[in-house]
Amino acid sequence: MRPGLLSDIFELTGEHLVLVFSATAIAIAIGVPAGILLTRRAEWRAPVLGIANILQTIPSLALFGFLIPIPLIGGIGPRTAIVALVLYALLPILRNTLTGILSVDAAVRESAVAMGMTASQILRQVEMPLAARTIFAGIRVATVATIGTATIAAAIGGGGLGVFIFRGVASVDTVQILAGAVPAALMALISDGGLGWIERKFAA
Amino acid sequence: MDRTKICSLILLAVMLAGCGKAKKPILVGSKNFTEQVVLGEIIAQHLENRLHRKIERRLNLGGTLLSYQALQDGEVSLYPEYTGTIEAEILKETPSPDPEQVYERSRLELLRQAQIEVLKPLGIDNRFVMVVRSDEANRDHLTTLSEAARVKPGWKLGVGYEFEQRTDGLPALSMYHLPMSAPPRAMDLGLLYKALDQGQVTMIAANATDGPLASPGRTVLEDDKKAFGSYQACIMLREDMIGEEPRLVPALNQLSGKFTNAAMRKMDAEVDVDHRQPSEVATEFLKQVGLK
Amino acid sequence: MLRFSNVCYRDVLKGLQFEVAEGRTLVLLGRSGAGKTTALKMVNALLMPTSGQVFVEGRATTDWNPIDLRRRIGYVIQETGLFPHFTVARNVGVVPRLNGWTPDRIGARVNELLERVGLAPSEYAHRYPRELSGGQRQRVGVARALAADPPILLFDEPFGALDPVTRHEVRREFTALARDLGKTTLFVTHDVREAMELADEIGLLHDGRLAELLPADEFPGARSEEARAFLACLRDD
Repeated sequence: MRPGLLSDIFELTGEHLVLVFSATAIAIAIGVPAGILLTRRAEWRAPVLGIANILQTIPSLALFGFLIPIPLIGGIGPRTAIVALVLYALLPILRNTLTGILSVDAAVRESAVAMGMTASQILRQVEMPLAARTIFAGIRVATVATIGTATIAAAIGGGGLGVFIFRGVASVDTVQILAGAVPAALMALISDGGLGWIERKFAA
Repeated sequence: MDRTKICSLILLAVMLAGCGKAKKPILVGSKNFTEQVVLGEIIAQHLENRLHRKIERRLNLGGTLLSYQALQDGEVSLYPEYTGTIEAEILKETPSPDPEQVYERSRLELLRQAQIEVLKPLGIDNRFVMVVRSDEANRDHLTTLSEAARVKPGWKLGVGYEFEQRTDGLPALSMYHLPMSAPPRAMDLGLLYKALDQGQVTMIAANATDGPLASPGRTVLEDDKKAFGSYQACIMLREDMIGEEPRLVPALNQLSGKFTNAAMRKMDAEVDVDHRQPSEVATEFLKQVGLK
Repeated sequence: MLRFSNVCYRDVLKGLQFEVAEGRTLVLLGRSGAGKTTALKMVNALLMPTSGQVFVEGRATTDWNPIDLRRRIGYVIQETGLFPHFTVARNVGVVPRLNGWTPDRIGARVNELLERVGLAPSEYAHRYPRELSGGQRQRVGVARALAADPPILLFDEPFGALDPVTRHEVRREFTALARDLGKTTLFVTHDVREAMELADEIGLLHDGRLAELLPADEFPGARSEEARAFLACLRDD
């Protein structure tokens, strides 16, 4: 273990956390409202979910290659990496918001309407609280997946723990590869456990 | 003689006869990028033409260490390697820019340490090259890396992870004291040319036989200070295969010197850009150099 | 107060025509699939007629702002539809809170209503629906419907899921409650005995039309085939 490796690990872990946090926050900001919109517009569900699904299957290098030339969000660096990570994180959040809200009991929904609640009152007082646990589960899945996927940020100069992995593969250095893979795996385990604990705190 | 002895003798004779018939298969390997796969195909097809034997291909094995390990273990009989890579990654030394020196060192050491023959160079030298956009090179009248150090206020450098890590990569480039307007950005090799075209970076560290270099719009700056090591492509062969198949080395040597960087670049481009099959490109090449 | 004027809905209702006067209880009786629930849902604009009009307090449902209309109507359904994440007290207080009552006024009203439906507030107010029995949940449902003192009540087979003993008890209590409160009530059921007990008037719905529309005490004498089929059940029980 060379001197300075530990401080490098801390630095790149920090970069990695920034990538994950930014991407997840943006994915929530887009995915939850979009999911709510889909509960209102049944005809958009198949196309929107279809697109989110396709985005997930695009190999990351191909996605980067496509994003580089786009002004504002493209280029080399963490910003483009975050855009790609957001696209990958959308599906679980979008889908869970949709199913969480749709799975609210039909009788409960009918009562709410019949009592004279407006659509936004129903959303805020009935649908969101009852869907909260499912939505949070989607957020948890997206976060843990993003921790792993964020290693690809290094392919586009975006930093993070992937740098160790790419360097290690290029120079066939197992120590470097582990320096990237182990912290990432630990981060994923801790997040899954921590977020899962919070999730269970939501009333079933 | 009693029955048991006769049976044993017959059995022995059959076994000996079987041994004599079974030859060790010739396994042609390659690393996991386009140029390697094309070279592997060329070697395999050429051997099939000359030896009239079925040659087994184990192409796309992996990186240097995986392929070299496979060679040592006998999983492959031969594969194409670069002298500079041998020196840098197998012998763990810094390759010199002098091709003769690097070749001799590689050949002697590998024979001594690992009983592996490094055959005569094929004619390709796939060394690191620094590439800029042609419109910028023309505008500032740049042809060499020393000129690049004087002209631009600052370069935005894009490199692959290998170049970043190798002692004969980024550290060797520092010989030119190129001014940088931003720290060098490391990224996947596949994205480098895109980034250059888009202006996200203004200079990239590429390899001499990259397919994209066959297209216009990019200029290679001359390594006038000879910073970068020589990476001649040679076939690495297990010594024990030489005895196994006496026609093998003469056949392989027919390929030496038949290649040029320009020809290799063109073949790489045909596979990467035109999406042609490596086997097709290989057959065409053999015809062109008169080996078919 | 409520008037159905030649109301049709797709192929379910075919020209429904009846009135419920203020303070009266009309029971819509009929087999499953006769269209009773469909008719009920037209009053609080959950469904709109495909032709004809439903008049509430003199105005067609198509002219009412649906939110205003529904706030004036209490709705009790078989599944109760209580909010599982609200306590009993919070469930009962939903409409008052929507109408902007002060917390004190809401609290007092909730306690009053829980007493009314036979659930001691000190014991039940802080409980969650999942902790209650079916009968208790239905009482909360009734309390909730009454909370903002709406002039109109709609009931869709509310006692259908209860066991016979509970059903009998609740029905008796409800009859007393309805009399006391003087609400205009439209009550849907397929149980002829229940209809006889609760109704001022009975409308027998058959195949999307009213086969009978009679005061409750005249119903046993009804002569249509459908009426006699229902009355036969009374005898056989």
